[in-house]
Amino acid sequence: MMLRLAGRSIPADPGLAVRVLRAEVVGLPRPLRLWLGGLAAILLVAAVAAVRALFPGDKALNTTPTFEWGLLIVGYVFFAITTSGLCLASSLGTVFGIERFRPLEKRHAILAVLSLCTAFGIIALDLHYPVRMVFGAVFNPSPSSPMWWMGVFYGIYLGCLLTEVWSMFFGHPTIHQAACVASSVMAVIAPSTLGAVFGVIAARPFWSGPFTPLLMVSSAFVSGTALLGIVFYAVCRFELAGVERARRLAVPAIRSLLLVGLGLVSLLVLRQTAAGWLSADPLLVASTRALLVGPLALPYWTMRIVGGLVLPAVILVVPWGRTPAGVLAAAVLAMAGVFTDRLTFVMAGQIAPAGAVAGTVSAPWAWYVPSPVEVAILLGAFALVAFVYTLAERYLDLREADAHVGMSLHLPGLARVRALVSLARRGRVASEPLDVAAAPGPTPAVMVTVPAAAEPVVATEAVVAAEPVVFGDPIPVPPAIVAAEPVVVASAPVRPEP
Amino acid sequence: MGADGRAPVVGSATPEPGTAGHPASDQAAGFALPPISRRQLLQVAAVAAPSLVGSTLLFEWLSRLTAGPPSPPIDPVVARYDPTAHRWGFVVDAAACIGCGQCVVACKQENDVPLDGEHTRTWVERHSVAVDGTVTVDAPEAGAHGFPALAEAAVAPAGDEAGSAIRETYFVPHLCMQCEESPCTQVCPVGATYRTPDGVILVDEQRCIGCGFCILACPYGARYLVPAGERTPKGVAGVADKCTFCYHRITRGRNPACVDICPVGARRFGDLDDPQSDVSRLLRERPSKVLRAGLGTRPRVHYLGLEAEPEA
Repeated sequence: MMLRLAGRSIPADPGLAVRVLRAEVVGLPRPLRLWLGGLAAILLVAAVAAVRALFPGDKALNTTPTFEWGLLIVGYVFFAITTSGLCLASSLGTVFGIERFRPLEKRHAILAVLSLCTAFGIIALDLHYPVRMVFGAVFNPSPSSPMWWMGVFYGIYLGCLLTEVWSMFFGHPTIHQAACVASSVMAVIAPSTLGAVFGVIAARPFWSGPFTPLLMVSSAFVSGTALLGIVFYAVCRFELAGVERARRLAVPAIRSLLLVGLGLVSLLVLRQTAAGWLSADPLLVASTRALLVGPLALPYWTMRIVGGLVLPAVILVVPWGRTPAGVLAAAVLAMAGVFTDRLTFVMAGQIAPAGAVAGTVSAPWAWYVPSPVEVAILLGAFALVAFVYTLAERYLDLREADAHVGMSLHLPGLARVRALVSLARRGRVASEPLDVAAAPGPTPAVMVTVPAAAEPVVATEAVVAAEPVVFGDPIPVPPAIVAAEPVVVASAPVRPEP
Repeated sequence: MGADGRAPVVGSATPEPGTAGHPASDQAAGFALPPISRRQLLQVAAVAAPSLVGSTLLFEWLSRLTAGPPSPPIDPVVARYDPTAHRWGFVVDAAACIGCGQCVVACKQENDVPLDGEHTRTWVERHSVAVDGTVTVDAPEAGAHGFPALAEAAVAPAGDEAGSAIRETYFVPHLCMQCEESPCTQVCPVGATYRTPDGVILVDEQRCIGCGFCILACPYGARYLVPAGERTPKGVAGVADKCTFCYHRITRGRNPACVDICPVGARRFGDLDDPQSDVSRLLRERPSKVLRAGLGTRPRVHYLGLEAEPEA
């Protein structure tokens, strides 16, 4: 008996499976083997740390009653919002149909599922009774708690993402489109609720307030886009699947999105610090002082403000920022900035207790240093995402789901519209007429978007009457286009076949 | 991971990207499962959904079975206790407190609370007010063993020289405020923290997931997660714990342990609905305040003699 996965035959017999796996590992290029081996080593250490963290009440974590949320909560928030950011960035193509953002589609979905599963794993290790949480949330729901809603929304979100990935790889375009829309909606709701978890805590004025969900969604956008920037640099650098589209569309799209995100977050950070510094609430002032001139000032100014906001924005604006390497540099810095922001955010909320809390005098500041177990788990989380994603990049087809069939129609406008509607009803057209002036040759021309993995286009009478033209790269277009077969061509710029 | 660095399919030559045999190119073949008809899908769903629900219910039933009884056995005295007939309140007389810390020790002994200063249900703070109005707070080991001289305190009081600029010092015993608008009960995602009809907030240790949300939401720092060790209230580590007004005592007509032990009567407990109770009388006769009143939590612990305390 053989199992088949991604074009590979995997023997069901364990001994044989191990031999096949060994042969596969030996066959890997040396740099890739080293990369995966290094990640596996980190994962092994993290697994030991994770087991250590499983015992309820054990002091494997350095959190205290004064500083109850530590590095694992930082990691959870980071990965959870990154998931949403990936969907927000890609939704511009998948949901709103903006062509230049379409290349982000497949890779974002894989990364989003990975990132969210990692976030769930981290929070499970931070909770002392994660199984109770699942059953408690179902059998003893507490709708007054934002944390309960966060669980509900992220659960739904994971369902949407899994549906999205499944429909993408198994070729169900209608379901895929619906799942994309649902994911994008949840990508806003879920991090907002996560922000509300912090935002409702009146006892921690640095966290509480209506701007916290907004900050979460904005920085989610930045971290998700930055992660896509890193991935698409790898696509260009190692010439992975879809490298041409990545160079032409994905990298410029990521650059624009990242710039917008950085601008938005900068405004919110400015508001946060100004409001905190000038507040009449002594706790809020104390937290803000800790951030700006206190014990958190070094990471805040270096990693958050200069490294995480200013430098990436500068890089993206200068000409070098238009290259994949420039986008990579900006993305890495922006991502490190978002992580530092999560770190300083969680710490600043707890660093200035009202006085002596639970018997521990915390003057002038409460303090917390993560334990080796916490650090190992967090590193393991990053390694897990990198490890699984590398395998996905190698063994799955990550070329974009949507390719384009170009054709021109010698038809009056009304007939053309009928043709598009006819195709749209089959759930496979996201089409707009091309700019007639920019499309030399027979006019009017239309662009029809066809999921490449789907079954061939069933041509309507109107389309049958059309003649194909070639857009972008000169890929031969077979006559079959007017009969049944979709043709994968580049989408822009439009130019006649040489 | 260059394109030319792709591994061969086991037993075959390395294919180029985009060609048959390349891992990515074979994706379609790899995922080309037989098409599933709507009927088949419904059949699978019809089997899977009840199985999932059934197994979930079974797991829940089993976990409840193995978790033991949901509450301790009720003795005849408690059986006669009517929680709707009381509205418990607590009065702390800061002017009377001498900072001996016996209340802290009694609480730890009574409730099997860890002996360190960090994990505690009640504690005593020393507030030292400097000439310029700055308040310095210390509570070594939760105040369980009294306080050292100011000059030897771990936290140096404000002023030009340690101790020299202090104009006033007093002790402030702390415990759970049993708020009527309690943030902890509102934020608990599984309803493990709840309020009894007599106004005491309790934690169901069999339901708490140890997320720590209630600990951060409490404006008074009155909660902690029980560390693993020999002393674990109710015998469960990793769950939230807090002062319960010694619920096991008050439902039997007794006072909380800290109230009984206090040598100067700085801690008073009683029914706020009973005009003859100690707490009602004190609140009628003397000016009182609650901590962090601006948050609107409406605590049931009232403080006397804290006129000098700035509002936090």
